[in-house]
Amino acid sequence: MSVAVHIPPSLQALTGDVNEVIVTGDTVGGCLRELVRLYPQLRGKLFTAKGKLLKGINIFINRVNVFPDALTKPVSTGDVVHVAYTVLGG
Amino acid sequence: MALNTGKILRVDLSKGKVRTETIPEKIATDFVGGRGYGVRYLYDEVKPGIDPLGADNKLLMLNGPLAGTTAQAVSRWMTCTLSPLTGTFTRSVCGADFGAWLKFCGYEMIILEGKAGKPSYLHLTPEGCKLLDASEIWGEDTKITQEWLVRKHGKNTRAACIGPAGEKLVKYAAVVSDRRTAGRGGTGAVMGSKNLKAVAITASRKLFLADPAAYEELAKEQVKTILANAAFQNHKEWGTTTTQDITNAIGIYPVRNFRYGQLVDYKPVLGAEYRKMRVGDIGCYSCAARCGKVHTVPSGVYAGAHSEGPEYESIWAFTGPIESADINASVAADQLCDDLGLDTISTGNTIGFAYELYEKGLLKKSDTDGLELIYGETAPMIALIKKIAYREGIGDLLALGTKRLAEKIGRGSDVYAIHVKGMELPAYEPRGAKSQGYNYATASVGASHCYGYAAQDIFGAPFPHPTDRFDEGNADIVIYNQDETAWHECGVACAFSGGWGWMPLFGKLVTAARGISAYSDAELNTAGDRLFNLERAFNLREGFGRKDDFLPSRIRTEPLHTRKAKGEGQMVGHNDAFLDKYYELRGWTKEGIPTAKKLKELGLGFALKDTAGKKK
Repeated sequence: MSVAVHIPPSLQALTGDVNEVIVTGDTVGGCLRELVRLYPQLRGKLFTAKGKLLKGINIFINRVNVFPDALTKPVSTGDVVHVAYTVLGG
Repeated sequence: MALNTGKILRVDLSKGKVRTETIPEKIATDFVGGRGYGVRYLYDEVKPGIDPLGADNKLLMLNGPLAGTTAQAVSRWMTCTLSPLTGTFTRSVCGADFGAWLKFCGYEMIILEGKAGKPSYLHLTPEGCKLLDASEIWGEDTKITQEWLVRKHGKNTRAACIGPAGEKLVKYAAVVSDRRTAGRGGTGAVMGSKNLKAVAITASRKLFLADPAAYEELAKEQVKTILANAAFQNHKEWGTTTTQDITNAIGIYPVRNFRYGQLVDYKPVLGAEYRKMRVGDIGCYSCAARCGKVHTVPSGVYAGAHSEGPEYESIWAFTGPIESADINASVAADQLCDDLGLDTISTGNTIGFAYELYEKGLLKKSDTDGLELIYGETAPMIALIKKIAYREGIGDLLALGTKRLAEKIGRGSDVYAIHVKGMELPAYEPRGAKSQGYNYATASVGASHCYGYAAQDIFGAPFPHPTDRFDEGNADIVIYNQDETAWHECGVACAFSGGWGWMPLFGKLVTAARGISAYSDAELNTAGDRLFNLERAFNLREGFGRKDDFLPSRIRTEPLHTRKAKGEGQMVGHNDAFLDKYYELRGWTKEGIPTAKKLKELGLGFALKDTAGKKK
């Protein structure tokens, strides 16, 4: 499955200022692992040492929040995954 | 179901007379509540061209249709008035318990009109309301005032009050309830101008629901949804005390009066550092988030300073503008502003402006009562906060806000005054978050961060099309954010809760509470559009228009310096082109005036007389 993953502004420094990356995977977790393979510095910003999604990261598939268990959620070709921060303002 | 549209308490402070009114079904349906009611009633009742600090202005205190119930994050309240800071419509949102207590007495709005003959406070119970002598608490800070009112009227009393800043008519004085603040726009000064120290409510929980059983089922569903939401869980853990981690990292943390987008070393102000000082959590009525993080300074010059906060905006207000990374000073400054009744954002921004004027030689030591306003030095900032609240020495000038201060000082100082329509910019640098910046430019109230918060620019929140925070062409994002915020504020729903996944239940909850026909999402968006357009008509009537929808000249003409972050050299260079697109999408003319067609579509035909033929 070919999926577009949107990178939040604060992580774009780790993707060479790229804000959208096309990856392949059957689940959100598969897509993010592919993303980390392309940009290894993202690993510590997205995953815990045990491979779980870090607290504070929010995942949307086609603008729908898929918390909890985001990594297991299936994706289809053409889907858009947004990686966002759960902090909202101040 | 019985129709239950809420009641108004109208208080004529000049005559000491009080009466209760019902809210017509048409207004309840079209404007929903909260900010919707606020602009609808102000539009009818505040004549154009009056003095915001005169007896003719009116101050409205409003909760929402769901306040005081078991539903989460909907018991906030707001003030609405003609702003003495901007001269526009303004609204300022506050938390704590006051909104729920107002509902327990059966009210959704208090309209305060006229001016009391002497310092007074209003005491409201479900049985009635009295205007009482406030001479014992006039001059006291907000903490002492509220403690006095609880001693006087019992522990089931909650109050909204002003401090010395409101009494002294500081243009950005706040209304304070518990330790929460209706900060922006100077609504505390309007309260002070009416000789009204406080509104105290003594009440016990009572519900006014058209269909209690249906409501409770929906409320349970709402709680379940919220508890399973990642953003809620993060907010519960951190409040907004980590936002500066991100805004510094991406170069949008305004530093030295909006010249830089990042502190040189921001590690000392990271959320984790505030976490070390945290001593508790405080929440609003019926909200499990308890996002008010309480801090106590353990040692040093500011040892013992204690505040519910600072939250993100106040963290910035007392670090960024003067380029300080002293978190202890930020807690002390936050406490002072809450005690004295000041808006932290305008206070911090105005002080940052003063530091730059001092740097440029436009203010000298002889002007500043001997204070040396040197970047990084926090003691002058603390001294200035007190001077502003009491309007002592240089504080009397700073109490006017940046726009008027620049007018007083002259000599080209206006280029360093960072405001829109007179309201000081908050803690997001427009050159690195341009949809956020254009929200400042076009918000009805001036530069408010939360009038149409661009989470897309800042946190990567999704939008139907790809977004780029440096793109100046996203008028659709700005409008979407503003209209969504507008209808959320009809419920006086917590702005943060908009990201907790429960908003699709809002219309159903209002239906069960009110007994009026269900709102679809489309209808609620239309309600947001409707009240935003009526706010525009209100402001046009006051003489505002396209000429006022511009970001400050520094933002448009000076490149941003982001230090180590992306965005170095960015400017906002296409304000005019943005307005053309924004107005077109809004259904406004090139001059920024809602067309007759637009007003009629929204059921605002009554505003035509104030907008037709306007040339701004």
